[in-house]
Amino acid sequence: MTIDANQKITVLLVDDHPMVQDGLTACLSYYDDIEIVDVCTNGKDALDKALSLRPDVILMDVSMPTMNGIDATEIITDKIPGTKILIFSMHESSEFVTSSIQAGAAGYISKDTTSEEVYFAIKAIAEGKTHFSSSVARALIDNPIRPENEKLTTREQVILTWIAKGLSSKEVARKLNISYRTVEAHRRNIRTKLNIESFAELVRYAVNHGLVDS
Amino acid sequence: MNFRMRLMLIAVLQVVLTSLITYYFVTKEYRDLSSESLITLEKFLIDQKKQELKNYTSLAKSSVDHLYLDSLPENTVVKNLVARVFDGLLYNGEDGYFFVYDGKGTNIVHPKEPFRIGNNYWDLENESGEKIIQILLSNAKNGGDYFRYPWLKPSLKEPSDKLGYSIYLEKWDWMIGTGVYLDDVYTQLSQLQSEMDRHTSKTKQIILIVAISSIFMIFLFGLIVNLNQKKKTDLKINELGQRIITLQEDERRHFSRELHDGIVQILISIKYSLEATARYIEKANMDKPEQLTKAENNLSTAIQEIRRISHHLHPRILDELGLSAALEALANEFTERSAVIVKIVKPAARKLLPDNINTSLYRVVQEALTNIEKHAKATQVAITFEFQNNWLTLSISDNGCGFDQEKQEAKPLHGIGLRNLAERIEYHSGRFTVVSNPSGTSIEVMIPKSSFVNHFNQTSFEAQK
Repeated sequence: MTIDANQKITVLLVDDHPMVQDGLTACLSYYDDIEIVDVCTNGKDALDKALSLRPDVILMDVSMPTMNGIDATEIITDKIPGTKILIFSMHESSEFVTSSIQAGAAGYISKDTTSEEVYFAIKAIAEGKTHFSSSVARALIDNPIRPENEKLTTREQVILTWIAKGLSSKEVARKLNISYRTVEAHRRNIRTKLNIESFAELVRYAVNHGLVDS
Repeated sequence: MNFRMRLMLIAVLQVVLTSLITYYFVTKEYRDLSSESLITLEKFLIDQKKQELKNYTSLAKSSVDHLYLDSLPENTVVKNLVARVFDGLLYNGEDGYFFVYDGKGTNIVHPKEPFRIGNNYWDLENESGEKIIQILLSNAKNGGDYFRYPWLKPSLKEPSDKLGYSIYLEKWDWMIGTGVYLDDVYTQLSQLQSEMDRHTSKTKQIILIVAISSIFMIFLFGLIVNLNQKKKTDLKINELGQRIITLQEDERRHFSRELHDGIVQILISIKYSLEATARYIEKANMDKPEQLTKAENNLSTAIQEIRRISHHLHPRILDELGLSAALEALANEFTERSAVIVKIVKPAARKLLPDNINTSLYRVVQEALTNIEKHAKATQVAITFEFQNNWLTLSISDNGCGFDQEKQEAKPLHGIGLRNLAERIEYHSGRFTVVSNPSGTSIEVMIPKSSFVNHFNQTSFEAQK
């Protein structure tokens, strides 16, 4: 996506702390090409706002009540493919970064940074690039994402549970209000991540891990 | 002294007291009974002897009556004849014989001690000063009576207690006597006495045995009750301890959250405000004040510091991403700190466990890694976290030098100690095993699936729809 010089980048700020919202809004107000169109305080609201406002970038905190930013990211990218989400968090360990990337985030910056970096990160994300804070990038280099290390996302785990309970992809799609193709894509991902081919093995995995009763 | 001990003491005292009283009365009863029956028996036996004597004497008299009654008082021939008859009358083997004295105490007949014949014994005394012959004579003159005195027993050839009986032949002024020795009566009596004593001591023994076994039973019972109680108390204490730990962990989690999601966020917002201020000053073409830079730096330090404290209290990653991610972060920190390589095997699934199990398992790994860093001199650590066959298994193994398990359990070297962790795991119905030898240490924790089944559905499903 190319950004028109006159067109501002619309940003949805998701953070449960009003003071952070205010502080960041104040800082970003110095940049003319960015506009914070709305703020909300949890992942659930973020989904509704994302659907109605279609912001260019969602600046998403991680630690929030009801649903954390990583799970929200996954659901939003599931339902509105192509949404650009920049995770904005106090957590700096690589597990948060890799989980965010797996959930579909385009970038990850530490909250403990300058507003200038926030600005540059938002711009980079809006232009379709990725951006990671230097501290976060270090963690990624130290612990690169290896396929065998990949974990199931919360969504994938929910889908696995439904499948193990005997639901078809179509039924899962209806339950989660997503498309059949998305569910199928998740199923492929689950199989790859778990290195499992058969349905029986999938069920056994779910039983072993206490996702369903035996 | 506690209540139970006091109760037991009272019971023991009661048994001792009862035994003593029983003992006293039983022995007293026995003693009374035995002395009473001994007296009766003695009287009976002696009466029997007396009757015997009387019979013998009257028999002896009637055997000479035909000579005595028809004779004249001074007929020496008849007297000699009668004396010879008495001399020959013997009964009871050697010991039953008749003796004859005249009214002045001169012996006329004595078959066992013939040297006495013709000698006078008027003044013969027994040990208590009684004149034996005089008493026998007066008894005889009074119509016949009994007298007890010591005399040589022929069969024993030594003096023995003798019961004498005498009658009087008035015409001749003769005293005819005989006697039985009482030593066999005494032997019988003492036999009876010892028999009774044996019975008494047997009863005493029984009482003693009953008392001792009662006391023993009380102690045994007390011990069993005590052990049972102790077991129950231990269980309660353990449960209470675990509840305190759970509360403590909840509190720590709460504080950690407050710090990380509350205070730190406020500080972050202040940081942005300071930045906005700096930008404002910059736009007004003024120099940024030194104090502002200082404040920004101090604020950053404060944020870092609070985050460190928050992380130390409770790792937020555990709540946000689950145990696998938290363990990985822990392992990374550990490797950075100690240069010991950690290999982790963990499931792709996550957020499977309830908070309290999550935290307990995290603390186990934390403690294990601390031990390894401080003591094991290991170069490699393997953490395996798996779900199989209805059990969750988490094991931490190192290739270090191991430790003395007994020593460690007696006195934990540091931290919360393996013993406490084991109790914590047992609280989740889990198993905790430690194997340590000079080639390394391995800690294994197992939690049954029933402790966490369906946890993920219950916590993560609703928000996903």
